[in-house]
Amino acid sequence: MIVAKSVTKYFGELQALKNVSFEINKGEIVGFLGQNGAGKTTIMRILTSYLPPTSGQVFIGGQEVSKNSLTVRKKIGYLPETPPLYSDMTVRDYLKFAARLKDVPAKQQCVQIDKVLEECRLKGVQHKIISILSKGYKQRVGIAQAIINNPEILILDEPTIGLDPTQIIQVRGLIKSLEYERTVILSTHILSEIQQIAHRVLIIKAGEVVVDKTLKDLLKEFNSDLEDIFLKLHLAKENQEQ
Amino acid sequence: MKKIFAIAKKELKAYFKSPIAYIVLIVTISVFNIFFFLIIDGDREADLRDVFKCMEFLFIFIVPLLTMKIFAEEKLSGTMEFLMTTPTTNTAIVLGKYLGSLVFFTIIIGITSSYYFIIEFFGQPDRLTILAGYLGIWLEGALFIAIGILISSWTKNQIVAAISSYTVLFLLYFSIGFIKYFSGWAEIVIRYIAIWSHTGNLTAGIITTADLVYYISGIFVCIVFTRLSIENRLWR
Repeated sequence: MIVAKSVTKYFGELQALKNVSFEINKGEIVGFLGQNGAGKTTIMRILTSYLPPTSGQVFIGGQEVSKNSLTVRKKIGYLPETPPLYSDMTVRDYLKFAARLKDVPAKQQCVQIDKVLEECRLKGVQHKIISILSKGYKQRVGIAQAIINNPEILILDEPTIGLDPTQIIQVRGLIKSLEYERTVILSTHILSEIQQIAHRVLIIKAGEVVVDKTLKDLLKEFNSDLEDIFLKLHLAKENQEQ
Repeated sequence: MKKIFAIAKKELKAYFKSPIAYIVLIVTISVFNIFFFLIIDGDREADLRDVFKCMEFLFIFIVPLLTMKIFAEEKLSGTMEFLMTTPTTNTAIVLGKYLGSLVFFTIIIGITSSYYFIIEFFGQPDRLTILAGYLGIWLEGALFIAIGILISSWTKNQIVAAISSYTVLFLLYFSIGFIKYFSGWAEIVIRYIAIWSHTGNLTAGIITTADLVYYISGIFVCIVFTRLSIENRLWR
């Protein structure tokens, strides 16, 4: 479904991604795990065609992202790190706008909006202006716009960042409810989140994929919990560098 | 095309949700009304040429207020990432935003059409001259909007966008005043880019191909550069 081949990204002199390669199959929930600045957001932006890679290729559904970006974008629902919301719009108007831009047929727009409002538990606030919503609601509106066109692939960049524990549980529940229907990629630096949601883990350190395993295999191999594995990998690497 | 209209509609609605739109509308129309009264009362002519001159000048102050947020706000709030990861072409994004601002500007011009009916009631104005004048100020506004949107696409800061737009529009408007210091090709270029040389013709009722080409090509170039600007990955 998603194939990245030797993807490298430079921002000026800074190398943000170093030869990143991976494959993600249909229906998988994959967690990108890494410290702040590891390159998780850059990978996601390349997958969504927002950023072009400096070198390497990304294929989604067999199509190269940089050459067929419009076709590829139709398959993707994307929630950036900061939910991209128009604060002066109502939730419903915003979702209607998103539906129009994402090619949801005019006749299905209302049905689709009602469906995602239901899925994201936003019915009660659909006529409220986005600026007055709590952070948790805003995050859910962000997820709602990402799934409005029923995309095959869902890319969520730190979907629970800055939320309170109740909101985190709600958003995680929402993501979990989307599995089987879609391929989900989510990035986080909250280890327990990955353990609760993901099937597979890609640990990214300083622009490199250092681990690419199913969660089950990873836990079995290290015979430890994810927190220990994450610390071991990072400390080992840091020690090597020293 | 549907997406262009969707973006234009969103932009237009956004204007009316912010106080800036109402302030611009009220202040602009009030100032125009005062000038209209003073000019008509002073000249006692059934002609809007001097009114158009005032409007032309005031657009320099009004248009940057309308365009400063167009891209700067999207970049700052992160919604640009949303727009550019939907299956929408960059051309549709730019045209949609341009159309939204142009419709708002047309509403302002539309309100001033009452001036024509007033002078028609009291005198016998030359309809074609007035129509050409309206075309002139509308095209001038359309060009100013295209310039403002281009500048807004360069920055995340609305104030920077507004001040830069003021600078460019002032230069465009007053460049004719510096023409005596230049000669040869520089003089020809300045005379061509100076907005006065073109709007002056239209407000006097003279429609020439050269003037229309000036506005249309100016708008086209700004739209193309805006598209290139938002495509430029350096700022992402």
